[in-house]
Amino acid sequence: MSGSVVGAGLIVEGEFTSDEEVVVEGIVRGTLSTGEAVSVSGDGVVEADLQALSVSVAGQVTGNVTASSRVDIQAGGRLIGDVKASRLTIADGASFRGNVDMEV
Amino acid sequence: MAYASVIGSSSVIRGNVRGDSSLEILGRIEGDVAVTGDLTLGREAVVVGTVSGARVIIGGSVQGDVRGTEAVLIAETGRVIGDLSAPRIGMSEGAHVQGSVRTDGVSSAPSRASAQRASERASERASEPRAAAAAPMERALARPAAAAPMERAPARPANISSVAASAPSHAKAAQLPPRRQPPPPVIQAPRPGARARKKLARR
Repeated sequence: MSGSVVGAGLIVEGEFTSDEEVVVEGIVRGTLSTGEAVSVSGDGVVEADLQALSVSVAGQVTGNVTASSRVDIQAGGRLIGDVKASRLTIADGASFRGNVDMEV
Repeated sequence: MAYASVIGSSSVIRGNVRGDSSLEILGRIEGDVAVTGDLTLGREAVVVGTVSGARVIIGGSVQGDVRGTEAVLIAETGRVIGDLSAPRIGMSEGAHVQGSVRTDGVSSAPSRASAQRASERASERASEPRAAAAAPMERALARPAAAAPMERAPARPANISSVAASAPSHAKAAQLPPRRQPPPPVIQAPRPGARARKKLARR
């Protein structure tokens, strides 16, 4: 399946669970958990605790992020919250504030 | 057509989804969905809540009202338990709909039609419990012996309404059952006066 896309202009509020890839171009508030990847694109905003296989942040994430594989904060991406993942990359130009726990 | 947003088939959202996007739902949403763009529910989609969009195409199941500012189309796999309202409504053979259907123009400003719709919905809601309450009443009337006190109860409102219909007529008002009249005034016997008391003392 192609997975879920929260497009620009869409606001999802509540508990969002999935087993597919989730792409956030709009706004997600609450909790977001999936067994696959989550990518928050440039204009995407996530104000939620995030749980996924891997997380890529090019937009804005406020909340704790837990990934069983990896977390990548892209240039221009902004993450405020604690990260729990075995691998974390922070690109040059990304902003991040929070604790890192790599003992997953 | 390509949708700006997709809720995938394995996705579950407990909460509301809204915005200016077009949206395709293939998963499950327990909450209200309101978008200004087109909205499509796939065959396996389930929404428990109100659904609204511009052109709303229902291929899955909805438990709640469906509103379309342009159209509502129920596909043959569609299943709606709730009211449908849109300027255009289409229903395929095999579609399952349980609720009222209105093909009124739906404008963003509250029109007379929408006010009427709201009042009708209110009266529908009011009539539902009445219909449900009618069943035990009928059961009570079916019992001949026990029905006697019950039969008097419905007779009273009938009297009141007949009095209300002919309110100025005092003659009719006098025909009311005796239990509705005030009790007769109690006239107190005057206490023996001073003279009477003197008379008694003289004896």
